[in-house]
Amino acid sequence: MSSIALRWRRTLAVALTGVSLFSVTAASAAEITVWCWDPNFNGATMEEAFSRYQAEHPDDTINVVIFDKAAMEQKLQAQLASGTTEGLPDIVLIEDYRAQKYLQSFPGAFEPLNDHVDYSTFAPYKVELATVNGQTYSLPFDSGVTGYFYRSDLMEEAGYTAEDLENITWDRLIEIGVDVKEKTGETLLPIDPNEAGWLRIMMQSAGTWYFDAEGNATIVDNPAIKAALETYQRLAAADISKPVSGWTEYTGSFTSGDTISTYSGVWMTATIKSNPDQSGNWGVAPIPRLDGIESSVNASNLGGSSWYVLSSAPQKDMAIDFLAEIWGKDVDFYQKILVDQGALGSLMAAREGEAYQASDEFFGGQPVWQNFSTWLSEIPSVNYGIFTEEADAAVVAQIPAITGGGNIDEIIAAIDAQVRQQIQ
Amino acid sequence: MSNPIALLGRTAQYVLLSFAAFISIFPFFWMAVGATNTSPDIVRGKATPGSALLTNIVTFFTSEDLPRVLFNSFFIAGVGTVLTLLVSSLAGYGFEIFRSRVREKVFGGMLLMLSIPFAALMIPLFVMMANLKLINTYQAIILPTVASIFIIFYFRQATKAFPTELRDAARIDGLKEWQIFLHVYMPVMRSTYAAATIIVFMTHWNNYLWPLIVLQTNDMKVLTLVVASLTSAYNPNYGTVMVGAIVATLPTLVIFFLLQRRFVEGMLGAVK
Repeated sequence: MSSIALRWRRTLAVALTGVSLFSVTAASAAEITVWCWDPNFNGATMEEAFSRYQAEHPDDTINVVIFDKAAMEQKLQAQLASGTTEGLPDIVLIEDYRAQKYLQSFPGAFEPLNDHVDYSTFAPYKVELATVNGQTYSLPFDSGVTGYFYRSDLMEEAGYTAEDLENITWDRLIEIGVDVKEKTGETLLPIDPNEAGWLRIMMQSAGTWYFDAEGNATIVDNPAIKAALETYQRLAAADISKPVSGWTEYTGSFTSGDTISTYSGVWMTATIKSNPDQSGNWGVAPIPRLDGIESSVNASNLGGSSWYVLSSAPQKDMAIDFLAEIWGKDVDFYQKILVDQGALGSLMAAREGEAYQASDEFFGGQPVWQNFSTWLSEIPSVNYGIFTEEADAAVVAQIPAITGGGNIDEIIAAIDAQVRQQIQ
Repeated sequence: MSNPIALLGRTAQYVLLSFAAFISIFPFFWMAVGATNTSPDIVRGKATPGSALLTNIVTFFTSEDLPRVLFNSFFIAGVGTVLTLLVSSLAGYGFEIFRSRVREKVFGGMLLMLSIPFAALMIPLFVMMANLKLINTYQAIILPTVASIFIIFYFRQATKAFPTELRDAARIDGLKEWQIFLHVYMPVMRSTYAAATIIVFMTHWNNYLWPLIVLQTNDMKVLTLVVASLTSAYNPNYGTVMVGAIVATLPTLVIFFLLQRRFVEGMLGAVK
């Protein structure tokens, strides 16, 4: 009897030692959890960044969890609203347009990084959009710096070279579109009437937004917004666009050759390059600026996202250290993700690297990345506020009126009324 | 038979039915054809079979720990279905057989609760689960669905057709109440159970919002979350998405065809 008891006790002792050994290793090796939404893009860059961090911290690991983007936002929102921090990740990716909404709706939920990151090395507009009361919360990631992507072969057929598309206004682009259609019969642009990205691009190119720095609506008496809506009306009336519905039809339109160009964020590059048979037939020009608006420049933004550390993060210190060391400084890392994932980061020093300098045969040998990062530094800063989505919806509701040739002042009043009603 | 008007009517009937069949079958056809095509081809609207099936399957099955994900989905749907049927049918039976004024009020109150949308319950439920330390567990998904008001209602309605003579006879033979439920009620109502199985399994299998909120790690993910995350990429691979959609559809289809006859019986009323 006693020998059995002794054996049991010994087994138990061994088991306990094993457990305590295990917990000792668990304490020194930490795992950070990251939520993001694209396994091939932001997820892959995060894995790459961490593999670099691991070189210095071999015991640490990362767990990248991929969700559908809208779903991830819903999940984050529900959990922050519930007030329980259990199960929240260490780092989360947030789309730039929504940053202020999260930062202002859930004060204290995110960790300011001013003491750890030198924000002067990042594109200014990216820093501004994640700043509340002088505290900056993000590690700026991919930019949505815009470009005008066009089929260089078909443009050339109509007699237009790359220089003809440099530093032009939207009205000049409309003229070119009309001329191209006359000469070759090609349609210039796809336009999705349920989408207001064009207005966001035009507004930011003029350094303005639906809201001012204090969050007040600035839709009425805003010359840039008025000019943008009028431009869109002229564009729609010129019969140089093809209406599309939804993302798939939109991207399908210019990748299949139905239309010959589009304006979009730099992240569109991957979609365009997904058709290798069109290599050499594409070009990228700077985005057009607004006619008659002095502040409007040939640089703007569409989309983009940044990393945020949660204040409740179990591995907060490590998460901050990791972001600051790799994402905040490592120029080589930015070359790697540019080549592998086509991710254009916001660290300005990265543009001096080799990959940024290279020319791209797909775009006829243009130094595409160098160009994009030049435009990136020129993007005017604006305050996205917390109601961009609501304002977008108000604009989309008026698009039939705009394309139908309605009075722009009345349309602006209607948009303004809907926005004010929503944000009360 | 050769009456031309009847023939015309019959023809119109078939044309209409063929049209309806086409409309309901086309999405499945599109899904199957899409699984064999590359993403750019699908975007272009190619409706003929392609040669990318194997690539799509390999991409899908290597994108996540799929055996684990399938296990999660089957485990949650399986255990969830058994528990839901057990608890809810017992409740439905009880409400119908042992009536009282108070129980009727409780039942009425429950029916009212059917009208509360899940979005309104989500956050309180999450707080509850967090307090119970059940975040990121199977229990967190299964427990809230076990007492399904709809299934209780469904069983109560079906029990109305359960002959009281059978119960009385069983009582005279000396069966206890739980034995009557187990040995008399359940076998007699098997068509109702079959129909409810399909409904409950489908609800569990397709459940998306609640698992999304309450599951946190990759090893706990269910199939709906994986398929949804496939479409979230900036440049989604639609061929892989179609393979995922097929994998997600198959179990419900198989169960439906297995229980089809019983399902129709169950819908018409179990006891003849």
